[in-house]
Amino acid sequence: MKKLVLGISGGLSFLIFLILLITTNQIIGAQDTQQMARRWSKENDAAQVSCFFAADSETTEDTILMFEHGIDSALTEASVVQESENPGARLWADAYSADGKITLSNNKTSVTADAIGIGGDFFLFHPLTLINGAYFSGNDLMQDYCVIDKDAAWQLFGSYDVAGMTVYISGIPHIVTGVVERPEGRLAEAAGLEGTLVYVSLETLETLGTSYGINHYEIVMPDPVTGFAYNHVKENLGKEENATEVVENSARYSLLSRLKLIGQFGVRSMNGKGIIYPYWENMARGYEDILMILTLLQLLTLLYPVILLLIAFIIWWRHKGWTLRDVRLKAKDKLERLIERLRAARAVKKGTGEPFSGESLPKEKSSGKRFRRRKKRRRKTFEDDFEEIEDFL
Amino acid sequence: MDENARKKREWVKTAAIIFLSVMLVLTFFSNTIMNYSLPEVAIQYVQSGTVTAKIRGSGVVESGDPYNVEVKESRKVASVAVRVGDFVEKGDVILYLEDEESEELKTAQDALDQAWNAYEKALLSDATTAAALQISNSGTSVSTYRQQLTNAQKVVKDAQNRVDDLKEQADVLSNRISNMAGRDEDIRGLQEWVNNTLAAKNDADRNKKSAQSHLDALKGYQKQWENEMDYWSQLSVSSGNAGNTDKVAEAQNQIANLQRALEENQKAILDAEAALNEATIEFNNKEAEWTKATNALANETAVTKGDLERQLANVNEELTNANAVLKEKTDLLTEMTGALGQGLNLGEQMEAITKAQEKVDELTEKSIGATVTADISGTITALNVVAGNTTSAATPVAVMQPEGKGFSMSFSVTNEQAKRLAVGDRADLVNAWRFDDVEVVLASIKPDPNDPGQKKLLTFDVTGAVTAGQTLNISVGQKSANYDYIVPNNAIREDNNGKFILVVTSKSSPLGTRYVATRVDVEVLASDDNQSAVSSGMLTGYDPVITTSTKPVEAGKLVRLAENN
Repeated sequence: MKKLVLGISGGLSFLIFLILLITTNQIIGAQDTQQMARRWSKENDAAQVSCFFAADSETTEDTILMFEHGIDSALTEASVVQESENPGARLWADAYSADGKITLSNNKTSVTADAIGIGGDFFLFHPLTLINGAYFSGNDLMQDYCVIDKDAAWQLFGSYDVAGMTVYISGIPHIVTGVVERPEGRLAEAAGLEGTLVYVSLETLETLGTSYGINHYEIVMPDPVTGFAYNHVKENLGKEENATEVVENSARYSLLSRLKLIGQFGVRSMNGKGIIYPYWENMARGYEDILMILTLLQLLTLLYPVILLLIAFIIWWRHKGWTLRDVRLKAKDKLERLIERLRAARAVKKGTGEPFSGESLPKEKSSGKRFRRRKKRRRKTFEDDFEEIEDFL
Repeated sequence: MDENARKKREWVKTAAIIFLSVMLVLTFFSNTIMNYSLPEVAIQYVQSGTVTAKIRGSGVVESGDPYNVEVKESRKVASVAVRVGDFVEKGDVILYLEDEESEELKTAQDALDQAWNAYEKALLSDATTAAALQISNSGTSVSTYRQQLTNAQKVVKDAQNRVDDLKEQADVLSNRISNMAGRDEDIRGLQEWVNNTLAAKNDADRNKKSAQSHLDALKGYQKQWENEMDYWSQLSVSSGNAGNTDKVAEAQNQIANLQRALEENQKAILDAEAALNEATIEFNNKEAEWTKATNALANETAVTKGDLERQLANVNEELTNANAVLKEKTDLLTEMTGALGQGLNLGEQMEAITKAQEKVDELTEKSIGATVTADISGTITALNVVAGNTTSAATPVAVMQPEGKGFSMSFSVTNEQAKRLAVGDRADLVNAWRFDDVEVVLASIKPDPNDPGQKKLLTFDVTGAVTAGQTLNISVGQKSANYDYIVPNNAIREDNNGKFILVVTSKSSPLGTRYVATRVDVEVLASDDNQSAVSSGMLTGYDPVITTSTKPVEAGKLVRLAENN
């Protein structure tokens, strides 16, 4: 009975492990903001790196521009060149953003909302669920666009189908290019998504709204050797340890990173930097914690059946009733019989001998009753040993 | 035992039936189940048409040629007679000023007093001469004095040049006198030079004659052979007529030989003529040199020491006279300069007094019952003072839009945006229905003074029913261009292989039609707010393009079309 309980518990534990494994992979796969490298390169030779700046770091668009100018030469030095035949193909893409507040109005009403001023290909990194319309880019010719969330669309127009409508920001008309679904849930709200959120160009936020300064930068670029992209960003944008933090998004959910995170338990929450994380980084960090727990559970649920299997194997090994010498002799016997049979068949074919009956060879002593006897004895001893283990557990 | 076996069999049968039923249901509904597990996509078809990139901006309407109404004095405003937007005719009162002595009047009075003091001091100065006083009171123009000074300076300069020339002559004569001791040797040297040049001249003469005779000889041969050729030519003709072919052949042969000889001789003549020319030039050169040497010898032997000493005495006397003239002219120039300076200074001081007096008079007149009136007809666009304020010369009290003049507006754009515009482009008003007959035309594109490297300042001429201070939102853009393939902006995706779109292709299967997302690499040619023109060799012109989806879609994966597609 105990053996059955142990077997079932081991199986259940492994089942739970498999469920946890699938859940973990699903959670990782659902983190769109962290999967840019996979989307960017199917060959898995790119890395996504984020850099977060403290409020007093005074990062400007010129800082970013200077950094961007250095990327191509760094890639050339690393012998990374564009191989695509598509004339518009790029080796890397980046985005930067600033938090702030902005007031949108139309002829009827106005909404003051949290705003993210974007530059570069922000929505390439943050493919939010579009309910209507399209994204815009910081590289577009015009920068008088905005993407609003469902709340803002409802408050301003009473509808979600508002792509192409005009809103006024400090009297300047802006075109709503799209309406997005704002991530919801306990984590999202805790991450800073509890209120209405709109996305405008950085230029609009800085000139017509209240900007807290550029505090996030993201890039996806070739990673010819592990850590190349991370080190390049770290050396060129993240030199000031106290004012910046560099994260390699594409590696943050790997098994190694999760195991390292378990090792950092207790010290991970300590932060001496004046950095306010954006909502997507807060959520990513939240999921890091969740995944850390899941990984820990995975380890435990895998460890239990593995230990049981190991013990079972040891017991079976100890009471197996045969030795390697037995196996060798048996195999030798089989081989000799086979050779003898072949010889006899050849003799019959030539008409000079008789068919092989097997009686010419001596019978192996360890066959027949003797084996059965051993097996019976072994089963008995095996059961006894299991009882011993159950008592021990 | 049998009962147990029967029960077991029943159980196995039931399980098998359930399993088969489930499998049957799954088979029947597999298509539906699979469809609902696929990402649902919305599609739009690739179209041809136009794409127009518009540049939008906002600016405040300003007067195109504003007229600033200014009060140069610091005066207190008693009342303002107009309001912003009022139309005023030329001469209409804009401000009434309080009666008071302004700061400017006090300053002008002080300046007048100081000017009088400076003038009187200058008059009492010892350096002031009668000539200076005469100049200051003569009323002659400064340019006239300047011409006189220039002439005097020229005279002094000429005298100085004459003195310098004479000094140089005296130095040359002195040197010659002091070198008279070695004169015999010089003469011998000159004699030797004459002999040498004469010998060279004679050699050249001989060469010339020799070349001439050679040329004459060659010309003689030429004449002789020409005569022979005439002879043989006539012989050839006459023999030909007589039918004597041998004679003709011989004559032809002789003619050919003579022809060759003549040609060679002609070349020799040319060479001889060149040699003769050369010899002639050489002879002429040597003859000129000989003449020069002969003259030098004649000059040297003709002049005596006494002659030189007499010449030196004359030059020295002339130099003394020239120095005296130079001193006289220099003194005259110095005197003239001083007198002119003093006189002109006094004149300037008197002129300053006159101007200061005029200003005092003008300000005194304005200090009582003063008003500020409009110098032109137009609309008041800004008033910078109210009753009780003090005017300032630095700030105009009012700004006017002159009658008949247009308005302007400007805003800054990026260099990339400016590239798509040209002066003369007509802009559209964003809320055109709010304005009546307003026309906005791009007038200039210049670097933005605030960010000259990155931005351009667009200035527009605005005409129509607008007023200064009004904000206009406009859009201006390049002319539309036609493209074969236009897709919505949200259909364009990108990865490290460039931009691409996902086209839905269909294929038939036993369970119905399947839809697959197929990647098509594109190059974006132009974009506007909603759509982009693309080029690709794989598009046919009516391809269904995925715009949105319920889940991330990868190329090559099956998709489900949204019901409204």
